[in-house]
Amino acid sequence: MKQIFYYFERDMRKWTRSRINVVSSLVMPAAWLILVGLTLPIRFTDNYLEFLTPSILVMTMLFSSLQGGALMIFDKVLGFLNKFLAMPSPRESILLGKILFISTRGLLQATVILLIAALLGVRIHSPFNIVLIYLTLFLFGVLFSALATTLALHISDHDGYAAVNSMISMPLFFASNALMPYDQMPEWLRMLAMVNPLSHTIDSIRELFMGGVPVEGIVGLAVAAGVMVCVGTVQFRRTGV
Amino acid sequence: MIEINGLTKNFNNLCAVDNVDLEITNEIFGLLGPNGAGKSTTVMMLTTLLKPSSGSARVCGYDVVKDAKKVRQSISYVPQDMAVDIKLTGRENVMLYAKLYGVPDRNTRVDDVLELLGLTGRAGDLVRTYSGGMRRRLELAQALVHEPKVLFLDEPTLGLDVAARKKIWEHISALRKRGMTIFMTTHYMEEADEYCDRVAIIDQGTIVALDSPENLKLGLGNDASLNDVFLENVKTGEDQTGFDAYKFRTMLRRR
Repeated sequence: MKQIFYYFERDMRKWTRSRINVVSSLVMPAAWLILVGLTLPIRFTDNYLEFLTPSILVMTMLFSSLQGGALMIFDKVLGFLNKFLAMPSPRESILLGKILFISTRGLLQATVILLIAALLGVRIHSPFNIVLIYLTLFLFGVLFSALATTLALHISDHDGYAAVNSMISMPLFFASNALMPYDQMPEWLRMLAMVNPLSHTIDSIRELFMGGVPVEGIVGLAVAAGVMVCVGTVQFRRTGV
Repeated sequence: MIEINGLTKNFNNLCAVDNVDLEITNEIFGLLGPNGAGKSTTVMMLTTLLKPSSGSARVCGYDVVKDAKKVRQSISYVPQDMAVDIKLTGRENVMLYAKLYGVPDRNTRVDDVLELLGLTGRAGDLVRTYSGGMRRRLELAQALVHEPKVLFLDEPTLGLDVAARKKIWEHISALRKRGMTIFMTTHYMEEADEYCDRVAIIDQGTIVALDSPENLKLGLGNDASLNDVFLENVKTGEDQTGFDAYKFRTMLRRR
């Protein structure tokens, strides 16, 4: 499946050649970390930045993954997809290349956040846990970039995709434990937050920051990502003949 | 090279291609017709992008449904959209295709096709700086990199100026001389007249005329042009194609 890497390489080159894209994808999470993490008058903890850093990491992966679906929309609307589909390489390699690129891009953004957080005084105690944080974020990225790319296959234009994207991303983020712990939420929000995959991922990352290893969380995420990739693969194989 | 038997494609109530039979040998074959006549739909079935509702087609002896992968290895498809990556260089655009097709000795091969299409001097520049004609030639370079037996071109000269169109046609004719079969659609009758060995006119999904441009013109009288042949055979007026072209194009891209 070398083709996956070739599709990845194409998107990566295009992304790195557009400096404004690179800068913008790094500024947004940094702004959250500094403008929200350091300023909100929060009473339930005396170190909100430590509470918020895992949330911003997961949020960045979420937004960047969902936004990544737009790549598929453009490939489709501009005619690239039809050219790729008429080639003998396996059709799912188009999907897998996109997932690889979007998740890698997300991890690059996450690295910047981790560096800024470290400068602001957030500490992770074991190097092994840093590796696990990357693994968890990668699995989360695979889950949502597979979802985004598969959705994009069925949506006809960019406006439609942007609408679907904002409909999913914002509610998912605010109905999670990203900004406050479960015990600070109104009852109805807590119910939503408990079933939100975003909350579970944030819980796992928080535990990793504390020095624990959330085996269940990581395995659960791996299973969900695996299922989503399978669903996407079937959809891509079905396109056309 | 291409055998089409009773090929039909229905989209809900709309019959886009209706029981088409064609046999294309080693030639430049032009499929002509008004907007919405079924040209693109036919090409997309032959290039394995759409599944026929009924009937069958074989390209290079392979069935487009059962042996889709073998068909894809033997052909190249250049749609009308001009899909080249403007943030990549010309060479990178062609190299991507060489890699995806698994072309052996790809560096040399990429240089060869760039040379063939007269792009060597600008190969290192971003495609953003290319003219329309150069972009189209770059697409041809991509399509030729794995030495296909059949080349499908959907309106290859659409939107290009006269000089660029002439150049594209010179390249297509040269490919034909080297033994490639070319299946193309176009709206430009003069071009079809000058360069195609045979043409078919399709209207409302049905083939209404099929022969060499010379014979078709002779059938109408001495001074007839291919435009006259077209107008004589096509019954669908320009304003009554009877379907939403934008919606249809979007659907073809989405599937």
